[in-house]
Amino acid sequence: MEKIRELLKKICFLPTVSSRELDYKSELFALAGDCFDEMYEDSFGDLVLVVKSKKPSAPRLMIDAHFDVVGFMVSKVHEDGFLSISPIGGVDARVLGASGAMVYGKERVEGVFTSTPPHLLKDSKSLPKIEDIYIDCGEDASLVEVGDIVTYKPHFTELLNNRVSATGLDDKACVCAMLDMAMHIDKERLNYDVYIVISAQEETGKGGARFIAYDIKPDIAIVTDAFFARGEDIENCDSIEMGEGAYIDASAVTDVFLTRGIIKALSAREIKLQVACEPSRTHTNNEAISIAGAGVRTALLGVAVEGMHTPSEIVSLEDIKSLSGALLEIAYGEWL
Amino acid sequence: MNEERKKQLLCELDKICSILGPSGFEWRVRDYIRAEIEKNMPSGAELFTDKLGGLYLKIKNEGAPKLMLSAHMDEVGFMVTEITERGELKFGSVGGINPLVLCSKRVVSENGIKGVITSKPIHLQTKDERSERTEIRKMRISIGARSRQEAEKYVSVGDYFTFEHDFRVLSGGRIASKALDDRHGCLALLNAIRELAKSGKKSRYELYFAFTCREEIGVSGAWCASELVKPDYAIVIESKAVLDLPSVGEARAVGALGEGALISYADGGAIMDRELTDRLVSVCEKNKIKYQINRAISGGNDSSNIQRGAHGARVALISAPSRYIHSSTGIIDYKDFEAICDAIYSFITAKED
Repeated sequence: MEKIRELLKKICFLPTVSSRELDYKSELFALAGDCFDEMYEDSFGDLVLVVKSKKPSAPRLMIDAHFDVVGFMVSKVHEDGFLSISPIGGVDARVLGASGAMVYGKERVEGVFTSTPPHLLKDSKSLPKIEDIYIDCGEDASLVEVGDIVTYKPHFTELLNNRVSATGLDDKACVCAMLDMAMHIDKERLNYDVYIVISAQEETGKGGARFIAYDIKPDIAIVTDAFFARGEDIENCDSIEMGEGAYIDASAVTDVFLTRGIIKALSAREIKLQVACEPSRTHTNNEAISIAGAGVRTALLGVAVEGMHTPSEIVSLEDIKSLSGALLEIAYGEWL
Repeated sequence: MNEERKKQLLCELDKICSILGPSGFEWRVRDYIRAEIEKNMPSGAELFTDKLGGLYLKIKNEGAPKLMLSAHMDEVGFMVTEITERGELKFGSVGGINPLVLCSKRVVSENGIKGVITSKPIHLQTKDERSERTEIRKMRISIGARSRQEAEKYVSVGDYFTFEHDFRVLSGGRIASKALDDRHGCLALLNAIRELAKSGKKSRYELYFAFTCREEIGVSGAWCASELVKPDYAIVIESKAVLDLPSVGEARAVGALGEGALISYADGGAIMDRELTDRLVSVCEKNKIKYQINRAISGGNDSSNIQRGAHGARVALISAPSRYIHSSTGIIDYKDFEAICDAIYSFITAKED
């Protein structure tokens, strides 16, 4: 678990706001280590790590997790240290107030999302709009320019039961699981050439995963992404239990035979997967990948994340380990 | 600016802000302040407490008018109101907090248990839920427990939480932290006490340094302070909420960071004593201490109850203009804080008007 904890922490501290994934290519490749036969990137910003099977002309298994996180772009630098911002990806303006920010200007500049104290609230009903929220960088923001990227201030907070809170766990928890899985591959048992894809711009809906799938032409693809953790006011049908292992998604946009085959085969090996149901769509990369080229059979797996898209998402390291184990079994399996 | 002094004051501000002390649970702050005062007591000084836990240092000067300088020790925070079957903590706020600054904030319990404030993710909210603020009642603290039984090993109903401590200095010496309201005031008093002890100077007042409780829940600790001390004059050292954002007009902004100690002739809680306030202003003028006058009437603090407690007192209010108070990250400017330290010390050691 310690290895996963350290790996996850390092991945979470990379500020890979959508479209800036390639800036952290060398850091990510360094974290991936030397268990890969090939590492490359495409023009869109997707990173690919390949582990080849010992078998000649093995079919291709693509496993995807997106590298990007939601963030902001500086839209105006005010004279007195305030920045106006535009969101990149889906951001809930109601969770920003008083959160820490990190601005990637000429140097890293720390700031705070502005908020209104109760003393000066005009009314307690209206909702904050992103246009009314600034980043307060202190006395001046001369190190910042329009177009600079902003993230939530990175942190890594340990909770009970091997759960941690950090920024960008959607989907870095799954990036971590993929890398951990790759590090444990026994090539002798591999039935596929495994293409691990750390894809760009999922959060903006531009789906780098689709282009890279078009290039790789996988025989099957596994997409890994975060799903809603269960909670007091969250219905069971919308969520999965944190700490109970990885989930697999049942949906009209995943391949029903592949999905059920994985559930059955893994259950025979006593790897229990939770089943998340999204009857219609998943709004993850699996949709984009499944229609790359003439179509790709996909399954969707992942882990529970609490507080999705907030500066303090929560994940269970045990679930990441479980996902890593499930992916390994899939790579050793027969699915064609 | 004296860099050595700045370094030392910032270091101590970090320390005093880190202490968990929501209203009703000020004792850790009090113990810290008491220990610091005891290291170097001014001559003729005496320490005592009130029954709510407020701490006082009296510097005897028989026959002289009584001047009380006060700052409150408590900060806003949370109390656990229920532990759910799932091991999540429902909570209420201690003091006034805008619910918009709560979601996703890291918090820590009086026993050091870490948690995150979470609520239903926006993706799963109904249209109605999306169109309103998430109420505190609908939030919970996740500590990572799997069940009520497990959570109860670490937390009990009634336990206090506060925001996680993350003190940092932003550009230009702006200070960002929880609990700056009003620990900076506590430190300004502590600093004055030390300087008095060091210089051996005498004040023309009988001085009472008061560290009060329960300011955040209705300024009630100040009643006891005024009853106990019965001051003739009182100066309250506070954090004044300002909103000097680009979108807010100057008049509504109350004051501006970096423009000096904020002196109020009136705020939302009290109309201050004109003569005492004028004297404070003139001390700043004489000693070239940067100050600004409060521009909008808003907010309230201990000054209202000290003015009206016991037989009444003449009060003045000096504040650090503070952004985003009552959140995980308030911001003040070091220059304003230093101006307050200087103003107080100059005031109590001034020979005459």
